[in-house]
Amino acid sequence: MLSIEGLSASYDSIRVLKDVSIQVPRGKMVSIIGANGAGKSTLLKSISGLMKINKGRILYKEQNIAGLPAYRIVGLGISQVPEGRQLFAHLTVRDNIHLGAYHYYKKRNRPEIKERIDKVYQMFPILEKRSKQIAGTLSGGEQQMLAIARALMARPELLLLDEPSMGIAPLIVREIFDVIQQLNKSGTTVLLVEQNAKTALKVAHHSYVLENGKIVLEGLASELLDNPKVKEVYLGG
Amino acid sequence: MTDPFNCMPKICEGGVFAILTFLIQYRQMETITLESQLFQYLITGVTVGSTYAIVAIGFNIIYGVTEIINFAQGEFVMLGGLIMVSFHVALGLPLILAFLATVTLVTLVGMLLDRLAIRPIRRPSVLTLIIATIAASIIIKGAAMLIWGKDFFDLPAFSGRNPITVLGAVIQPQYLWVIGFLIIIVVILTIFFNKTIIGKAMSACADNADAASLAGINVKRMILLSFALSAGIGAVAGITVTPISLMEYDRGAMLAVKGFGAAVLGGLGSFPGAVIGGLIIGTIESFGTGLIHSGYKDAFALIVLMVVLFIKPSGLLGSVEISKFKRF
Ligand SMILES: Nc1ncnc2c1ncn2[C@@H]1O[C@H](COP(=O)(O)OP(=O)(O)OP(=O)(O)O)[C@@H](O)[C@H]1O
Ligand SMILES: [Mg+2]
Repeated sequence: MLSIEGLSASYDSIRVLKDVSIQVPRGKMVSIIGANGAGKSTLLKSISGLMKINKGRILYKEQNIAGLPAYRIVGLGISQVPEGRQLFAHLTVRDNIHLGAYHYYKKRNRPEIKERIDKVYQMFPILEKRSKQIAGTLSGGEQQMLAIARALMARPELLLLDEPSMGIAPLIVREIFDVIQQLNKSGTTVLLVEQNAKTALKVAHHSYVLENGKIVLEGLASELLDNPKVKEVYLGG
Repeated sequence: MTDPFNCMPKICEGGVFAILTFLIQYRQMETITLESQLFQYLITGVTVGSTYAIVAIGFNIIYGVTEIINFAQGEFVMLGGLIMVSFHVALGLPLILAFLATVTLVTLVGMLLDRLAIRPIRRPSVLTLIIATIAASIIIKGAAMLIWGKDFFDLPAFSGRNPITVLGAVIQPQYLWVIGFLIIIVVILTIFFNKTIIGKAMSACADNADAASLAGINVKRMILLSFALSAGIGAVAGITVTPISLMEYDRGAMLAVKGFGAAVLGGLGSFPGAVIGGLIIGTIESFGTGLIHSGYKDAFALIVLMVVLFIKPSGLLGSVEISKFKRF
């Protein structure tokens, strides 16, 4: 579904991604692990269009989407949950959810939007209870749920998740990952970026290890869990 | 440049002065009680303040999407007044047609401002963009001087100049038009920003531009829209106030300062705040001019503004919570 070939990207003159190639097959969950500053977020931003890339191709359903603006890419079915949630902090929970559907927010799509709202409220019942609350005042866990809910409103076929477990209590992390796995089972392709390598390797089918902007290792997630190097560096020995 | 429209005799002050001259003449006809006099100041202040409020709302719309303070905001008002004079008085277009044509034209100027001065800046910081708007305001003012010269221009009042007397105060029908249009603008914008998805998308851009584009919002188009909207309502303010206070090419800067004062007074970004701030500044100005001295007209408002900011830096209705997020 997504195939990245020889991607390079840089901030000013500092190269952050160096010749990165990854594959995300349809229906699978692929994870990328790596230390702080490895370039994980930059990779996701390159896919979603927030980051200008220098070189390489980003093929999504056989179409090269590199260089398209972000607001067009979401219309193609790629939706990103950005690192640190990035909610519309002054708007209500409900407004955040509605805005997720912005790119197809037309009268004739109303029933579909309504249906999707019901669905995300089903996934995260707490959001329905808080629907009139200002998003910036939600707890960290609730904010992450809202960020995911907003991204799902865009009816993604490929969901990009940037560290959904960051700063969240283990119990809530489990709840969020349950939802992500369900989504994946029901057909949404997922590309997950995590520093929490253990979780990322447990839930994914396939994984890549990113180090200083380069892919240094890849394989079935279950194999990487047993890989001595991964064990030492990312799983704490 | 000669004056093609044979305008009114030149008066060297703006609206408040014209109103006062009128008052003095009126006083000779009838004795005026203190109460009616005070009421008169209030009405005048609310009228002048409505114009400031509209300018302040214009500031807020653009600020709300971009965090830019658009100092060319006052030029939209000036252009509204002068273009209306050309369409309605010089070309003789009927009132409503001239009104719509003027608002459309000024809206286009606002969009051009975005396309020519704001968008081309490659690595925008809020400060460089603000400087760009100041530069633009100087250029617009210069162009207006070339087109209309330095004269004051008058417009016929929308529904005549026969004053209505209420509680001993003289109310020009045009005052009601000015206040009425403020109300219309506030109602329409409130619905737009609170009920429509495009209005919410505009607020979303201000909150988080990257997240907005991830949701499919074309942030640049929203910025363009914000400039169009503020220019449009600025034009309305200029058209409605010109029959009261006349209009000339260099009125914009002072209007921008007063409108900015109103916006800050009410709390930058707050629409109700803009209205309250505008009305307060207009009223203080009117009372100060009437009771103290017209020479200090422009100082009163700014002094009050400074006092308020000293006591409550986020403005009357601005929340501290929100001002924490502000980058500027
Ligand atoms: N806007 C920016 N301007 C300049 N450099 C940046 C910018 N954003 C990121 N970088 C740099 O790019 C490198 C990769 O950053 P990136 O955010 O992609 O890392 P990451 O793998 O997501 O890290 P983390 O796990 O901490 O989120 C870092 O060295 C970072 O300092
Ligand atoms: Mg990151």
